[in-house]
Amino acid sequence: MPARIPQTRALHWLGRQLFNRNDPAAFFDPLLETLNPMLVQGQTLARVEQVIQETSDTRTFTLKPAARWAGFQAGQHVNICVEIDGVQRTRTFSLSSSPELWAKQGLVTLTIKRLPGGLVTNWLHDNLSEGQVLGLGEAFGDFLLPEPPQPVLFIAGGSGITPVLSHLETMAAQDFRAPVTLLYFVRTQQDIIAAERLHALERRYSALTLRIIATDESDKPRYLKSQDLSTVPGLKARQVYLCGPKGLMDLANKQLHEHGIRKKDIHSTFFSTAAPALNADLANQVLGGKVQFGKSNLEASSEGDASLLEIAEASGLSPRHGCRMGICHQCSCRKTSGTVINRLTGKASGPGEESVQLCISIPHGPVTIEI
Amino acid sequence: MSQMTEDQLQELAQDLNSIRDEIVADLGERDANYIRRVIRLHRALEVGGRVMMPFGFIPPVFVAATVSLGLSKIIENMEIGHNVMHGQYDWINDPSLHSQTYEWDTACSSDSWRRTHNYEHHTYTNIIGKDRDYGYALLRLSDDEQWHPAHSLQFLSYVMLSVFFQWGVGLHELEFERVRRGEIRLRDKLPFLKDALHKGGRQAFKDYVFFPLITFPVAPIVLAGNLGANLMRNLWSSTVIFCGHFTEDAETFDEKDCENESKGHWYLRQLTGSSNFTGNKLIHLLSGHLSYQIEHHVFPDLPAHRYPEVSERVQSVCRKHGIRYNTGSFRHQYGTVVKRILKYSLPDRLRMRLESQPA
Repeated sequence: MPARIPQTRALHWLGRQLFNRNDPAAFFDPLLETLNPMLVQGQTLARVEQVIQETSDTRTFTLKPAARWAGFQAGQHVNICVEIDGVQRTRTFSLSSSPELWAKQGLVTLTIKRLPGGLVTNWLHDNLSEGQVLGLGEAFGDFLLPEPPQPVLFIAGGSGITPVLSHLETMAAQDFRAPVTLLYFVRTQQDIIAAERLHALERRYSALTLRIIATDESDKPRYLKSQDLSTVPGLKARQVYLCGPKGLMDLANKQLHEHGIRKKDIHSTFFSTAAPALNADLANQVLGGKVQFGKSNLEASSEGDASLLEIAEASGLSPRHGCRMGICHQCSCRKTSGTVINRLTGKASGPGEESVQLCISIPHGPVTIEI
Repeated sequence: MSQMTEDQLQELAQDLNSIRDEIVADLGERDANYIRRVIRLHRALEVGGRVMMPFGFIPPVFVAATVSLGLSKIIENMEIGHNVMHGQYDWINDPSLHSQTYEWDTACSSDSWRRTHNYEHHTYTNIIGKDRDYGYALLRLSDDEQWHPAHSLQFLSYVMLSVFFQWGVGLHELEFERVRRGEIRLRDKLPFLKDALHKGGRQAFKDYVFFPLITFPVAPIVLAGNLGANLMRNLWSSTVIFCGHFTEDAETFDEKDCENESKGHWYLRQLTGSSNFTGNKLIHLLSGHLSYQIEHHVFPDLPAHRYPEVSERVQSVCRKHGIRYNTGSFRHQYGTVVKRILKYSLPDRLRMRLESQPA
């Protein structure tokens, strides 16, 4: 559509002049969303089509994204945005369905476990039902299947199974021609997420070897053992994919190293845990942390109660600011990840993307700021 | 200014902080729904006004279209733009309501406004020489400034400023009075001027070129209606803003009294340098709740629709500390503003002679 591009560009320019915004189409959103929320232009929305209870604390949400959503590759994750008590909260989750399902039916699934103390996961479980809409970002991440096909070993723990489900569905649909083994660690048999889907996959996709290991069903915890890896045929030739709690990831990395698997053949992806709810006084907190300045490509470490503004200035940056006392919001900018503590209230922020005032925000662990 | 000890000031800060903390803890869906409702109202008024305007050859439609567009500009500037840019809704995390990226429907660029208003005016409120909003470097409103014969015509300057208020605000950061006195060089203001020209040009293009042109046969009607809507907004917003700090008893401060000031002193300055006016819900909405200027200056980043509910508590804090809470009817407060402008247009001797006479 080369002819359309200058035309849209001109329209976009005109829109900016008329509506004073870089996304002029979104000017009408407040009116459009009262007609039909899916018409909104400012963000891509998805409608909840179905909610499936997988285990006592895990649900799968089937979503129908607006048609302009660009799609994804198996193993990628998305940011979803929901409004909780008037505040928009963004969190990252792995897609648990295959791109085939998106291509054929326009659907994707998210499989989400309640995290103890987690604001968003608990809200999703308690409130998100069929017919509701949520914001859906474009997919990202490089936890991708090998191309061309090579033998694969998945080691997943708990809700770390979600991107692996996407992988397996995709492999089965494309008839991925290489041996595939999944070692899936769960606490008890009741905690198996998507048990039916996994067993159905095992039946129809012959390349798959499925081993589900319950860690907490005997007197002594049954974690990943070196033998588990020895039983995987042709281990050395496999691409290994890890997703699960930190303990499992550390153990797996160590044992894979002992089995002579090279680092470059091991792929791992993020696994979310809820940040503990912090509300104590400033004095009782361990403050400081590594600060990434995303746009400037700079990194700094801080200890103690230095504010993000002070840390940025000490790193040679000169972010816009004004009163330095939390009044004027000149220094407000986007925090894309990490937790900060408000110097005035002593309260901790959420871990997701949100707006913070640099002059009164103290890092609490690693933080990424868009300056 | 009331004399208070550091201990008293600290107590004042604690009293006000606890009001603030309570509201912050309560922020939520109600506030998000409120601002969304106001935004929907703004969109409906603007779309309605623009659509009706070409049919303005029918006189009642012309009035309806102009008023609709004028109200849309007033609501966008006062209740949405001004308040969003103060960071009142940053906590919602909606990128389209973010204080640092919001761009409003007026000639002044949001970046310039954030510097001169949010930072300078709200940090250095009513400090003569540091708060350039005090009289806009155009009007003499206190005897801190020497009388000059040109001041005798300042009521005329005031009327002109009100009529062209958006352009005055747009060029405020130029600091033309300081350029004229040779304190700063025009050259250093070129980046600002470029920015001001860009934003001002965009606004003029929209209201005075684009919309009249696409409705060509009725272009003069659309142009007149758009001028009328802008005039409506200019007069109203300038009047509201003048009632906020230039009423009879709003105090002014000396730069050296405010060096290294405590938060309590800052609070005291906000309380005594600002003034409210009473009115109904519509008046509060159209003034962006700057009718609660005192509450706004004490808590500039709390959602403005909360000011009515904190007002009673702010008043009781004022009573407790013996601080005057300056409020009155709109007519009374505006009357004292006009009086102040006229009074200080006179040379000091004449003014004092008039003041000493019984009314």
